[in-house]
Amino acid sequence: MKSLLNVTLVVLIFSTFAYQSVVAQDAPPPGKKKVEYSPYPEKSFPNSVYFGDTHLHTSFSTDAGMVGNSRGPEDAYRLARGEVITSSFGLKVQLSRPLDFLVISDHAENFGLAPAIAESNPDLLKYAWGQEIHDKVKTKDPTGAFDMWIKQVNAKDDKLAGSGMSKAFWQRSNEISEKYNEPGLFTALIGYEWTSMPNGNNLHRNIVFRDNMDKTSQVVPMSSYDSVDPEDLWAWLAAYEKKTGGKALAIPHNGNISNGTMFDDITLTTKKPIDNDYAQRRMRWEPLYEVTQIKGDGEAHPALSPNDEFADFYTWDTGTLGPETTTPEMWPRDYARAALKRGLVYEEKLGTNPFKFGMIGSTDAHTSIPSTEEDNFFGKVSLTEPSANPHYRFDEVIIARTNPDPTKKIRHFRAASSGLAAVWARENTRESLWDSMARKEVYATTGTRLRVRVFAGWDYVESDLARSNFAEYGYQHGVPMGGDLKAAPVNKAPTLMVRAVRDPDGANLDRVQIIKGWVDSNGKTQEMVYDIAVSDDRKPGKNGKYPPVGNTVNLTDVTYTNSIGEAYLQAHWKDPDFDPRQRAFYYARVIEIPTPTWLAYDRKVFGSKLPEGARQIHQERAYTTPVWYTP
Amino acid sequence: MKIKLLAILLCFPTFAFASEKPGTASGGGKEYSPYINLDFPQNAYFGDTHLHTSYSTDAGMVGNSTTPDMAYRVSKGEQITSPTGLKFKLKRPLDFIVISDHAENLGLAPMINRSDPAVMESEQGKKWHDMFKAGDGYKAFLEWLAYGGDNNDPIKSNKMMGSAWNDIMTAAEQHNEPGVFTALHGFEWTSMPRGNNLHRNVIFRDGKDKVSQILPMSSYDSQDPEDLWKYMQAYEDKTGGQVFAIPHNGNISNGLMFAPETYTSKKPLDADYAKRRQQWEPIYEVSQAKGDGETHPFLSPDDQFSDFETLDQGNLSGRAPKTPEMLKYEYAREALKMGLDYEQKLGVNPFKFGLIGSTDAHNGIPSTTEENNFSKANIVEPSPTRFEHVLVKGAVDDKLSITALDLGAAGLAGVWAKENTREEIWDAFARKEVFATTGSRIRVRFFGGFNFSENDVFKQNYAQLGYEKGVPMGGDITKAPAGKAPNFMVLAVKDPEGANLDRIQVVKGWLGANGKTQEKVFDVVVSDDRKPGFFNKKMPDVGSTVDIKDASYTNTIGDALLSTVWTDPEFNASQKAFYYARVIEIPTPRWTAYDQKAYGVTAPKGTALVVQDRAYTSPIWYTP
Repeated sequence: MKSLLNVTLVVLIFSTFAYQSVVAQDAPPPGKKKVEYSPYPEKSFPNSVYFGDTHLHTSFSTDAGMVGNSRGPEDAYRLARGEVITSSFGLKVQLSRPLDFLVISDHAENFGLAPAIAESNPDLLKYAWGQEIHDKVKTKDPTGAFDMWIKQVNAKDDKLAGSGMSKAFWQRSNEISEKYNEPGLFTALIGYEWTSMPNGNNLHRNIVFRDNMDKTSQVVPMSSYDSVDPEDLWAWLAAYEKKTGGKALAIPHNGNISNGTMFDDITLTTKKPIDNDYAQRRMRWEPLYEVTQIKGDGEAHPALSPNDEFADFYTWDTGTLGPETTTPEMWPRDYARAALKRGLVYEEKLGTNPFKFGMIGSTDAHTSIPSTEEDNFFGKVSLTEPSANPHYRFDEVIIARTNPDPTKKIRHFRAASSGLAAVWARENTRESLWDSMARKEVYATTGTRLRVRVFAGWDYVESDLARSNFAEYGYQHGVPMGGDLKAAPVNKAPTLMVRAVRDPDGANLDRVQIIKGWVDSNGKTQEMVYDIAVSDDRKPGKNGKYPPVGNTVNLTDVTYTNSIGEAYLQAHWKDPDFDPRQRAFYYARVIEIPTPTWLAYDRKVFGSKLPEGARQIHQERAYTTPVWYTP
Repeated sequence: MKIKLLAILLCFPTFAFASEKPGTASGGGKEYSPYINLDFPQNAYFGDTHLHTSYSTDAGMVGNSTTPDMAYRVSKGEQITSPTGLKFKLKRPLDFIVISDHAENLGLAPMINRSDPAVMESEQGKKWHDMFKAGDGYKAFLEWLAYGGDNNDPIKSNKMMGSAWNDIMTAAEQHNEPGVFTALHGFEWTSMPRGNNLHRNVIFRDGKDKVSQILPMSSYDSQDPEDLWKYMQAYEDKTGGQVFAIPHNGNISNGLMFAPETYTSKKPLDADYAKRRQQWEPIYEVSQAKGDGETHPFLSPDDQFSDFETLDQGNLSGRAPKTPEMLKYEYAREALKMGLDYEQKLGVNPFKFGLIGSTDAHNGIPSTTEENNFSKANIVEPSPTRFEHVLVKGAVDDKLSITALDLGAAGLAGVWAKENTREEIWDAFARKEVFATTGSRIRVRFFGGFNFSENDVFKQNYAQLGYEKGVPMGGDITKAPAGKAPNFMVLAVKDPEGANLDRIQVVKGWLGANGKTQEKVFDVVVSDDRKPGFFNKKMPDVGSTVDIKDASYTNTIGDALLSTVWTDPEFNASQKAFYYARVIEIPTPRWTAYDQKAYGVTAPKGTALVVQDRAYTSPIWYTP
């Protein structure tokens, strides 16, 4: 019998009466426009920071795979997504936290040679040179094999031209990226490195594609065998876009070892002063610059910014990958801040700024291991993986190896466990991340995951900082990092809002600064560093400078404490020295409290004796992309 | 030329390699990466363990059309169209979900829709199919609703259940992506004798290979939780897999959820019952759309924050009203206290559970934030008339109805795990290293021990110290060293896209010397350097920045991060106790305020328009 009780015993959640009556009410009146409710479908401004590495090499890079790196792209992706892998020299490694995205940027020059040798790839063995290098490796003469390869690289004589090997491995690399790309959750951007270095002066560029492999596999990466001139690379990128309908950009790095050629005043091949056309093309293809990585930090140079107490950070300024010495007059063409300033002058002169770039960090690790934590540094190349033996880990010469002057050599103990690319985006997809890169809404960190947001406009007031819709308001009334301010309203000065949160698993913040660069009325470039938010209620001293935040690092235990600094800093800042007739840029630099470096952790783990000059304490930081002001 | 030759292309030279053999560069077998050896959770993952799709008959038959695939996609951050035709997107993707469709005639709606042979073979199924196709779907639903309870399965088709279960498992396998997104297999067992809610979500650790060996148990099979435990035991015996169940909504169980007697035999709880309950039900869902179940103002009159999203008019079916004596058997804090008493008497604590929040949404949309509240089902999705809508109409008395206004935008399950995989997430639940939030993504760590020093919480490796010197949320501490009281290290970071924090509290429950349970709420760290009042010793309120008209607030009050080490000042080493942390946000607009703004409507008088969202950690228990 079904009692009345049973009938009303709804198993689940809807009572019958409620549903009927409500449905009747719910029918929208015909013809009336539906009001959407969820705020998020309509919101397209970035609401998340994604952290990744745009510059990681695996065994598919010949200078990695032929010198000890046996870990391929799959290992790199698995590690980046949080798994434990075993390094080339047998150490287990895991990241403290997974990355959100990764660009595997293997070198184009004989892409895939090492794995091709390992598997005795028939495309390789068809060529006498291929057979010979293959046999050398297989008969335990890897040195001879590597010599063979270096010789032909230096001679720009690709002995495998037309073999199809690199194309096949590019295809394979693309397939692996497709496998690990998971829209919304993890992005595997397809890319590679074009490795131009005339005379050992570093002009490398990482190419990052927006597209899936249906487009990227239609081309074979342009290599420095094809040309060492970036202008040829730009032409190749243009041809790629035309052919496939896809999109690509290039990210240069390590101007600090370019001997003045990274941000040069003249073109590489024709040696002509750069002109408006050059500037336009450069900005079309190179919206970003990798400002910090293992081989030094390139934001500023202490000699160029003598009043900036934080300018000397992993300064690698003595030489290149070749034999030549770096001289001080080259530095303005090597460092990002100087280039950004010179760009303003060029803009005045040419009408276009050739150096109007955003800033990111990345690792350039050749280990397949994109770790940037100080206590998890796996070195520049596989041979410099963690070890009690200082022979490679500390003493291996990285810069100026072939420079006859021993004082110019930079050894691996000066390597930075850096950096990360932080991307403000709405979604963790190839398209969303790439578009943010293209519009420069990105920033660099030296390895930490601190989160910083910048808005610049004319009308922000102090209380806007605390708005619950801070970001939305920021976008509506100004521009984010990477944006432009134009034509100052009468009696207004650029106003910046900055909010910075420390790495949740990391160190507190010391301060937030604004770096301003401008061209004065004499046409000379100037710069100024403003402390706009400082922790612990510090007050400036008589010299106008804030006292240092202090130091909690204990070098015995290799620890620090967050008892100084603050988890969160924010500031509303109006340029006090603004002249509306002068071109300028502004970017934020966020400095953490002092923490131990990887060398201190090495000492703790291995009891290593550190070389003289080894830095055991540093202050990690983030650099945002500038906002530019144009009269 | 020699120099040229040595101008190496990249960064590595030949001679370095020559002297090197792989394996000798490293530290003689000594590992380096600290993260491989970290045997403790590094990450808080946020998810929903309680999400329904069209495969739940009470959803699918009444217009909740979201499929499991859509539910996964929306959880991963994609935009979908809701059952009422509105565009929907989460503020941020979730890290994991459990699709917990009701086992009772699982998949009836989609199978009717596709005229699946499994449903057509059943006489009753075919009848409802034909009604549905003839446009009488709602009538069919009403007929279906009339069934329920033991041995009253209108369709009784393992084929149908198997087919639906397979669809759901297949979607989970397709969307599970170890390391980046976890799709746990599960279902809801929907016991509700006389309309009193005893629902449990059953959650598996395993993949389809094991889970496909069984079919979900439904309340047609039995309404007694002890039978559900038997079913779970049989699953584990058969497959070698692992499973647990999460009860929810004691607040609409009319005294049944934590009742002092067993369901069928009506006997007082004994040690065997307690042991099994603890084994199979390590977690309680304390916050969801249909009310918050941490505590009730009647039970905790001295707790100024106890009246939060209270839903206490009656039971789930809206048939039986609530009476005050039921309350103590309905709320988590009281149950945790009773558990201490049981432990004293029986030797085992039947109510030793961790705390999580989840949505129980029936529209496949796990929204938990106030400004994006798609609520419990299609009939209470955003609409200019939502304030008038009713979810469950009181069968005899309108006062017993559960209305749209009664529903909160809640909640989330926070899970401390080493990685985002089925195994790690499930294991964290099993060891209760989880916390509940009422919808925001507050990240809270909570450790208990006897030896924390004040400075530990500032250390970079505070979490590691937490595990080394104590236990995390969900853990046990015992046998206080002479003269020592337990101390607790707590650190909470606000939702990075949300409101600042007002305070962190520790809620202590204990069994007094007289055998009576007691509770006390301690403010252990508060924002903005506030000090307690001189006379009343109460911490002043944090204030409010809410602009109701504009549905906005500002983070000019509160702090982004609060942390402290707190020592129990009233500790008695001979008394059983538990401690959990409650983290309170500053006031923000409730969803009702966003509705007012979005539609230009006014909520009825007395409607709550401001909330202080919060997090509850799982307790740490002290046993003498």
